[in-house]
Amino acid sequence: MSAAGETLKLLHPLVSKYLRQERMPHMACPGCGIGQVVHATLLAVDELGLTPKDTVWVQGVGCSSRITYSTWVGDNVDAHHGRIFAVATGLKMARPDMNFILFTGDGDCGAIGGNHFIHACRRNLDVTAILFNNGIYGMTGGQVAPTSPVGAVTTTTPYGNIEDPFDMCQLAVAAGASYVARWKSTDFKPLVNSIKKGVQTKGLAFIEVLLQCPTNFGRYVLKTSQPQEVMKWIKEHSVSRKDAKKLSKEELAGKYLLGEFVYRPERVGIVERYQELLKQHQKE
Amino acid sequence: MSSGVKPGKYFVQGDEAIAEGAIAAGCRYFAGYPITPCSETSEAMARRLPEVGGVCLQMEDELASIHSVGAASVGGLKAMTISSGPGISLKLEGLGWGIKNEIPYVVVDIQRAGPSNGVATRVGQGDFYTVRYGSAGGNSSLIALSPKSTQEAFDLTIECFNLSEVFRCPVFLLSDETVGHTRELLVIPEESELKIVNRIKPSVPPEQFVMYPLDTPGVIYHPFPNIGEGYGICVSPYTHNSKGYASTAQDIQEKMAKRLVLKITENLDKLVRVEKQFLEDADFSVVAYGGNARPAIAAVEMAREKGMKVGFFRPIIVWPFPDGEVLKVAEKVKTILVCELNIDGQLSREVARASKGRAEVYHLGSGGVEPHLPVQIFDEIRRLYA
Amino acid sequence: MAITIIKDFCKGCGFCITYCPKKVYDLSDEMNKKGYRLPCPARAEECTECGLCDLYCPDFAILLEKTKKKGSIHK
Repeated sequence: MSAAGETLKLLHPLVSKYLRQERMPHMACPGCGIGQVVHATLLAVDELGLTPKDTVWVQGVGCSSRITYSTWVGDNVDAHHGRIFAVATGLKMARPDMNFILFTGDGDCGAIGGNHFIHACRRNLDVTAILFNNGIYGMTGGQVAPTSPVGAVTTTTPYGNIEDPFDMCQLAVAAGASYVARWKSTDFKPLVNSIKKGVQTKGLAFIEVLLQCPTNFGRYVLKTSQPQEVMKWIKEHSVSRKDAKKLSKEELAGKYLLGEFVYRPERVGIVERYQELLKQHQKE
Repeated sequence: MSSGVKPGKYFVQGDEAIAEGAIAAGCRYFAGYPITPCSETSEAMARRLPEVGGVCLQMEDELASIHSVGAASVGGLKAMTISSGPGISLKLEGLGWGIKNEIPYVVVDIQRAGPSNGVATRVGQGDFYTVRYGSAGGNSSLIALSPKSTQEAFDLTIECFNLSEVFRCPVFLLSDETVGHTRELLVIPEESELKIVNRIKPSVPPEQFVMYPLDTPGVIYHPFPNIGEGYGICVSPYTHNSKGYASTAQDIQEKMAKRLVLKITENLDKLVRVEKQFLEDADFSVVAYGGNARPAIAAVEMAREKGMKVGFFRPIIVWPFPDGEVLKVAEKVKTILVCELNIDGQLSREVARASKGRAEVYHLGSGGVEPHLPVQIFDEIRRLYA
Repeated sequence: MAITIIKDFCKGCGFCITYCPKKVYDLSDEMNKKGYRLPCPARAEECTECGLCDLYCPDFAILLEKTKKKGSIHK
């Protein structure tokens, strides 16, 4: 209690250190996994010693972005839907000395943003991108996503999704990202370590996180509004890369592989290459 | 870092003059996508920007170009992108982000014959309304300048950068293929003779600084802090309050809309730039802009030789449209002939509106590909001259 | 472990109740301002200070103060 007798507001230490208190509690639905990933991000930020002065949070459009935008106490740059990687390119090339953590979603990264995503991987832009994969378009009310499983009933696939989903990690690997990994939002320790590794790796770090959307994926696809049920589904449909080696092709069908897919920090990205170009051609 | 200004006389295309103007203005980030008839600007920037320590990227598409340009400006660099009609259509979303967040940068449109892909290598003037009204949602104003020559392409590019910093907004250089591809004299003056306006930074600490001055809508010269400067800036495509926090409140929407309109419309005195020739005793005026001004002036001279009291008016600033100056002309003359390279009538529509019925306004349109010939305009003057 | 529920942040998802390995939490009858039913650490003496409730909570609504072990929760 303060001298005036007023109760001091209790806050989680990560919130008081890194988040804008007037923006809390954040706007995620009850049980949504995004808060868990934000928590993991802040643990990574804290353990690495990143500060609001040297780190920018970048967003697109969707739950990934609306929840993280203007929560970070430093700079926040929220792009139009899908343009997060294009915006990150301009930001990073203007300020190669700063750290950029990108929060993107299924549509933002895999649909409207697909082209910018693969080119950012190709350029190996030195940023850390966290994909919130909840298998659906949450913010707009439950439409199918390029990451939705086949057969998923959503508001725009009322008879079941007839399209196969992207494997976003494989896209990132093929396009050239330096570090690619996938975890569930409840793989706390590996997720924090991955984010730390991503920030410390030169080049594009792409970390896909499978997380529960009880409001839309739960209700429409799984016919449950219990977040624990969605988390159970995610757990049952994911397998570590190590364990996957023991499974048959049939057993692996429809399962998400968890783990690290590529780590090639030796692949020089556009930031370093451009600096090299300037060394050779800049006059005076 | 080198200023990159190379004083001297050059024989170059308008496209290249734009690149030199940008560099002289301090542009240090360029992103574009190849498109005729302005790939030459991208190519010039690719050669020249690294020489001055700037960043030049060919992005994967038009959208990536403009979004990265807006972002580079948020990152602290003066930035520019260029395209032609079909690419400008794609860029309009990014333009909205720049307008909404009051981000200074320059967008160049080298217009070509349209609609759709049209004729890639040939002139048109069909984007006059697109640049002003094409971005979603309205609730904003826009500044666009239009050069008629290579020299003006250089000079006005610098003007565009200056205005973008003063008004904290994207500014258009609305040009066309005639200017873009015509090779003529460019004089680049000594660096000391150039007037460059640089970014205004806050003079108060972060807790006192207002990122988006919604409560003072008409104010210009408002500071623009960038990332990494300790101001914890928030930039978002959504309607936001003065801190940058997204809002659905009606009063915030209202304030934001007024800010984006009034900051330009309440400062027209700083923006109006027009060219007038032979108007003192005129009872007929020809109006044209951009590259099409050249044959229009030639036609006016032909008319004068025949004793017709014909004058010429050119908006150098095309947006906000110089209503007041057009009205002055309309009050003076009986007839106005607007010559533009579109059939639907765009500049002529604005001239008719701004004339308030004080003069008869006629539209001499052409689909494009070729600019008007002086004799085409002269024949029309003769037909209409009473 | 000293366990405090930050009532205004809780959204009643129940993760602390479901996933605590020692079943420390129960659903209480108390509601916060938004109408979410809050958990309470009914069996705090069973707590092994693993910190999982804090990590599972998506809303930063659990404040933990270690009384037994040292070091960060994450370790």
